[in-house]
Amino acid sequence: MPLLALNNLNVRYGQIVGTSDLSLSLEAGEILALVGSNGAGKSSTLKAILGMAPYRSGKILWQGKDLKGRKPSEIVREGIGFSPEGRRVFASLTVLENLNIGAYSRDANEAAERIEQIYTYFPRLRERSGQRASSLSGGEQQMLAIGRALMSRPKLFLLDEPSLGLAPIVVERIGDILKEIQAREALAVILAEQNANWALALADRAVILELGQKTAEGPSADLLRDPKVQSAYLGI
Amino acid sequence: MTDTTSETVRVGELGPTGAFERKAQDAGNHRVRNLLILAFVAFAALWPLVHENTFLLTMGTLVALSVIGATSLHLIIRTGHISFAHAGFMGVGAYVCVLLVMKLQLPFAVSLAGGAAAAAALALLIGPVVLRLTGKYFVLVTFLLGEIIRMVFVEWTSMTGGSNGIFGIPAPYPALAEPHAFYYFALAAALLCVGFCARILTSEVGRAMDSVRESERVAQCSGIPALQLKVTIFVIACALAGVHGALLAHFLHYVDPSSFGMVDSLNLVVMNVIGGMNHLIGPIIGSVFLTILPELLRGYVELQRVIFGIILIVVMAALPGGILELTARVRRLLASRRS
Repeated sequence: MPLLALNNLNVRYGQIVGTSDLSLSLEAGEILALVGSNGAGKSSTLKAILGMAPYRSGKILWQGKDLKGRKPSEIVREGIGFSPEGRRVFASLTVLENLNIGAYSRDANEAAERIEQIYTYFPRLRERSGQRASSLSGGEQQMLAIGRALMSRPKLFLLDEPSLGLAPIVVERIGDILKEIQAREALAVILAEQNANWALALADRAVILELGQKTAEGPSADLLRDPKVQSAYLGI
Repeated sequence: MTDTTSETVRVGELGPTGAFERKAQDAGNHRVRNLLILAFVAFAALWPLVHENTFLLTMGTLVALSVIGATSLHLIIRTGHISFAHAGFMGVGAYVCVLLVMKLQLPFAVSLAGGAAAAAALALLIGPVVLRLTGKYFVLVTFLLGEIIRMVFVEWTSMTGGSNGIFGIPAPYPALAEPHAFYYFALAAALLCVGFCARILTSEVGRAMDSVRESERVAQCSGIPALQLKVTIFVIACALAGVHGALLAHFLHYVDPSSFGMVDSLNLVVMNVIGGMNHLIGPIIGSVFLTILPELLRGYVELQRVIFGIILIVVMAALPGGILELTARVRRLLASRRS
């Protein structure tokens, strides 16, 4: 049984199409990139998995269980972490408080242990622990958003546009850390990205989306060599 | 061994340079704050002893009671919702408590609990619906809700006595018929309420409330059951509003619908705005300010409302963070002098 399976998912916002008949599946520990331009349906897919986007038909199966009708907070408890687009952190809270939000209503000792782990992944966050999140740089805020989502020890991590508005060197750094976390915790990741070069380099497998539809799918290495993908997304 | 100690220093939340200074400064600020709180409580406790004036004593009691209403509304505001129905919930608590005492001859403590429970039950019924609304829609709906509740008090004559209200409400206990005793009773209730709210706001729940206020959706996808949290806080806050109403009715020995209308809800909101909406101390300052100010302006009856309005506008324009912002500004000024 795959860790997560989407079967013919149709996300609709009124008349507007989010995804149409999208099917994909993911094994434990795998990194899947969702590549596509603005409005291709990347965010809609992630939001639907987390129970935050309405879908008219289709199924989302998490370890074989249908997630339809479950609240986001319940889905997070099931083991799915989400870091939304635009590095959303709670500006008025400190770094430490932001991280603690990610472990809400869990055992305090366990949360403290987990924070230590997150701090070893992101040493910058430890240095900034007592500062308000609003005082962090863009890259640090993205790290904090990732760290907060990982606080709940997810099995699957949904990451929406982590490279948006960040300097290339910071993007590379975040990619390295993601790889390290993924290897260490056998974490499955769905990475929604417009930066196809970076996403395909990071992912095992990728799905290319256009207007909510899957137009290509396969191992990242194959897609990187595909002439159509190269011309449309890689600028080659 | 040395390894572990250096580790604990690092674990201790703050990084290498500058951090310890900041921690020391924080501790200093906390000490100042604790001293101020202690001074305020001492002043409140000694208030009846410094003068023989029953009017001033009554003012003190009214301030203490309105602290309960304003701080409980503060809880709702901290989840990002400004409720204009709070006085309605005060009224529910007041009428239920009074009727239990006068019609069923129940002991006051039981009736008070009954009044708070009735307000809480109404909040639990309405909360899950209205708390899905945000911003101006929530304001509008709670405004109407407050008016509906007030209309029920006016129209349900057989129970509430309609616009005439209910007279001859006894003191909670014979001993509390004495004004000094009631003052201390109200002060104790206010302190309990403030302590309870402070406990919530400084806990993990308080941080979750902040996150929901900043962005409900991001809070949700971080695993916080946002609606459930908001409903819980709303219910607790409305129960406290019920306590405020019940104590007020028993203090004044009289209750009528005019104490629970739009203006009274607005007053509670303004107490928060004037005092400062970002900290629990704000509504306490606001309660003192807004209860005493109209009394000081009594001498100018015809101009009272005008002057009152002008003062409000000036405070809000000059200090968007409320009177509490004044302390922050003074602190910044002192810090810049020092350096």
